[in-house]
Amino acid sequence: MTAVSVRNVSKVFNQGKPNQVDALSNVALDVKQGEFVSLIGPSGCGKSTLLRLVANLLEPTSGEVTVNGKTAAQARLDQDYGMAFQQAGLFDWRTVRKNIELPLELKGWDKQQRSARADEMLQLVQLPEFGDHYPWQLSGGMQQRIAIARALAAHPPLLLMDEPFGALDEMTREYMQGELLRICAATGTTVVFVTHSIPEAVYLSNRVVVMSPRPGRITKVVDVSLGGERNEDTRNRTAFFEAITAVREGLRGMHAAHVGLGNDDR
Amino acid sequence: MTIHRLTMLLGKVVPAILFGALFLGVWEWAVMFFELKPYFLTAPSSIWQQFTTNFALIRGAATVSGTNALVGLVAGTVLGVAMSFVLSRFGFLNQLITPLAVALNAIPIFVLVAVLNNMYSITSEIPRRIMVTLVVYFIVLVNVARGLTQVSPTHVELMRSYAASDVAILRKVRIPNAVPFLFTSLKIAAPAAVITAFVSEYFGGSQNGLGSRISSNIANSKNAAAWAYVLAACLLGLLFYTVSVAMESLNRKGGVKQ
Repeated sequence: MTAVSVRNVSKVFNQGKPNQVDALSNVALDVKQGEFVSLIGPSGCGKSTLLRLVANLLEPTSGEVTVNGKTAAQARLDQDYGMAFQQAGLFDWRTVRKNIELPLELKGWDKQQRSARADEMLQLVQLPEFGDHYPWQLSGGMQQRIAIARALAAHPPLLLMDEPFGALDEMTREYMQGELLRICAATGTTVVFVTHSIPEAVYLSNRVVVMSPRPGRITKVVDVSLGGERNEDTRNRTAFFEAITAVREGLRGMHAAHVGLGNDDR
Repeated sequence: MTIHRLTMLLGKVVPAILFGALFLGVWEWAVMFFELKPYFLTAPSSIWQQFTTNFALIRGAATVSGTNALVGLVAGTVLGVAMSFVLSRFGFLNQLITPLAVALNAIPIFVLVAVLNNMYSITSEIPRRIMVTLVVYFIVLVNVARGLTQVSPTHVELMRSYAASDVAILRKVRIPNAVPFLFTSLKIAAPAAVITAFVSEYFGGSQNGLGSRISSNIANSKNAAAWAYVLAACLLGLLFYTVSVAMESLNRKGGVKQ
């Protein structure tokens, strides 16, 4: 079953006005259940817009988005996905535990259920002793783990992430990538992941979707077959470098076309 | 641990007390040494003497001014908070009311008191309380409205991804976000309320508050007595400020980063 289906979707901002922007043009993408798909591309290629269309935070100008076989709007109302952003976006006035419980509060869960689930999520992100801390007492990496715990608190089948590790240092970032893969393997969550980083996209993903700007569209899809469990050794394997090269060529080809050096028939 | 904190506290307080004592000492000495006339500068000792002998009168005047300031502070805060909710809910009202608010704020306070005094009987405290209410109202309105509207875009997107209603976003994001803004505005508004209460007394009405006592004592060349009322005004302002700071720090203990 497909977790996300994007069919011939276009998105135009400020249509008919002088500042009209064609953010996405005729994009099609299917994400299978349990798959990890990254969207990569330069600024303005519409990758964040595409993510927000899936999340139903934006409406497509034309085309159709379905999530778990429902319309994106219905999926949002049913909280069929969790979302994480570049800013952890934790609430400073709530304890870590209360932050994780927020989506459950909005679903109307009672206190005991919420508390039990918060314990489970704190275990999942391996921060069980920090439930009663406030977010600002935690490091950036820990805050982002709590944000992931919150996004997954209602056990949604789908996780949408918009450059969640973009503000972290390189070492924390690689650690967080490992953590995310471990969490997804443990929960079977489908992930759509927006990033600027080629190694990050390749390390995490089953497929890397390369996008280009003006208008935003998908130019290449790279299948990453690293096989088996991914760990720190994965980063040294030939297949890893080959996939990085394939993504880089996808991005570079588009760049060449942009400055008028590449073949237009690719 | 507690002993360490006590010495830390003493380390902060002792220099301030020493400096204050030194300042008063130099003042006292200068008045004696240069034989300054009381209308030019009165010695701290004679101010203190006036303060203690007239304490009952001063306390009465401070109660009148303090009550006016407190009533205006509470009324202005309630109105300001209520209006900030209305403004943050209806953006177009914001555009209608903001120019009016700016214009009202630009009117010198004295003009309004004179007008308000005409509206009510000569012994009424209402004009002064309205004046304090107005001053506090705008301070609270501007700050709390900012707290309700300037929420993190990530928080709003997050709440929308949870399919949260506007009411839920208000309760779980906007109001908690505005609470520190409210306490900050109270920290500004509390001393302003006291000052407004004094100044309002300079424009007629009953001669019962600290402001009017200061001006009438000066008019009668009772300079030390006037200074004693100034001391009381200073203490009243400090009291209001201290309470507002204490309220803010109590709120901060609730876990909000400073």
